[in-house]
Amino acid sequence: MEVIARPKGGNIDKMAEKVFLESIKLLGGLKKLVEYRNLTWLPSLAEAAYVIVLKNEAFKTYKEIAEELGITEQTAKNIATADEEEVKKYIEGELEERPREHIAGGIAKLAYKKLKEEGKLDEDEVEIKHDEIEVLGIDWAVHVLTRIKGLDFPVEKDQLMERLKGLVIKGKKAEEILEKLEYPIKNPADLLHKIKIHLEE
Amino acid sequence: MAKYYELSELESKAPKLFGIPTGTKLDEMFYKIEVEDGKYVKKPLGGIPYLAVLNITGVPDTGKSVLAEQFAVTQANLGYKVLFVTVESPANFLYTALKHKAQALGADFEKVEKNVVVIDASENDELRENPKALIDTMAYAIKEKKVTNTIIDSITGLYEHKEVMARQIVRQFFNFLKKFRQTAILVSQKRSAQASESAEAAGGLAVAHIVDGTIVLDKKLIETRWDVNLYGLPLGSVIRTIRIDGCRLCGHDSSTWVFEITEFGTINIICPLSEFIKRRGRIEEE
Repeated sequence: MEVIARPKGGNIDKMAEKVFLESIKLLGGLKKLVEYRNLTWLPSLAEAAYVIVLKNEAFKTYKEIAEELGITEQTAKNIATADEEEVKKYIEGELEERPREHIAGGIAKLAYKKLKEEGKLDEDEVEIKHDEIEVLGIDWAVHVLTRIKGLDFPVEKDQLMERLKGLVIKGKKAEEILEKLEYPIKNPADLLHKIKIHLEE
Repeated sequence: MAKYYELSELESKAPKLFGIPTGTKLDEMFYKIEVEDGKYVKKPLGGIPYLAVLNITGVPDTGKSVLAEQFAVTQANLGYKVLFVTVESPANFLYTALKHKAQALGADFEKVEKNVVVIDASENDELRENPKALIDTMAYAIKEKKVTNTIIDSITGLYEHKEVMARQIVRQFFNFLKKFRQTAILVSQKRSAQASESAEAAGGLAVAHIVDGTIVLDKKLIETRWDVNLYGLPLGSVIRTIRIDGCRLCGHDSSTWVFEITEFGTINIICPLSEFIKRRGRIEEE
């Protein structure tokens, strides 16, 4: 008789994280939040993401949610019952006045619904481990990305030479490869693409 | 976009109506109507309806778990995979109960052991408190082990301190069991204020309304002279009854039956209560 004593899936923290990240995406991405100096929204979004997941996936009562997150029952209720369509109109600029709804709650609800409809809320992401990266022969890409971290693109040859000096990519010296690429290189993806094409030649 | 069907389109999707044996006389109490020689005749299904999600309710110690365990052993002994979600009794105690039942029913325990998968939610808060975690775990077990029958003992344990959520929680499990094509039994407990013979259980009528049917188990202590005369049983004894309160999937016997829990811990349904009383009367006259 096989006994299963531990849960498989249903990870609330993971789901709340996904709702949180999707909420940021709905607002135009983290960069936009930084540009518009709206980073103060993040704690509210994180809180709202948890409320929505606890309410809809773990079927917690407002009292339980309030206790778990250290907020009032009324806040939990305001978040869970926010009219997401009104909030959507507001963030899209259709409403002149700020609606009475809990804005972060509405955004988290929109994000939750989107993930749920797309079946992504409880989907396991594929994590590629170090060994697997090597087996797949794409370890060089990881090394290149690590070395160019913080570099301002577009870049010229000299800057890359400095960063990638001494690196061996699939048996070839990085310096030799860099000599043969076209410059300027627009972004990290462009760099990886050009290296890949050179390796295949 | 909302989906709709022409009724005729559903023919290929409609489940066949046949019985999944429980190892009790309940198997003869669900039936279908067939045409034989131009006449409509009642045919026992030979079990609870295939793909039904049934609720067993009753006050404490009426035999709900005994019935659920008997169903598990019967199915496992027939070679079908059973998922037993234990919310009340820890898995090791369930093991002993199933072993004794198997012996009493003359089942092959090796086979039973091989065919029963247990999710122990009694000792894991996450499984008990987070329905999503439990549903995902059940989905894993059903897919991996090719389970066809599921028992949750008890569904009440999943919302015992928050009965306001009963409807939502039961609905989630019901939909899940339907999606995964399970013939299922949900055990639900009654609260002290609820009439023992009704289908109502903790969380109100939520469970009874959502599931396909309810079986009510009840017991009565013989405590007055009137009871002694009516049931023909000695003072202090107990009469146990079982009744199919309703089933939306097929016809069923609607009378109250008398049953006993044998000394080996199995359920033996004896006869309808009315017949039981008549029989006792006749014995007294003789």
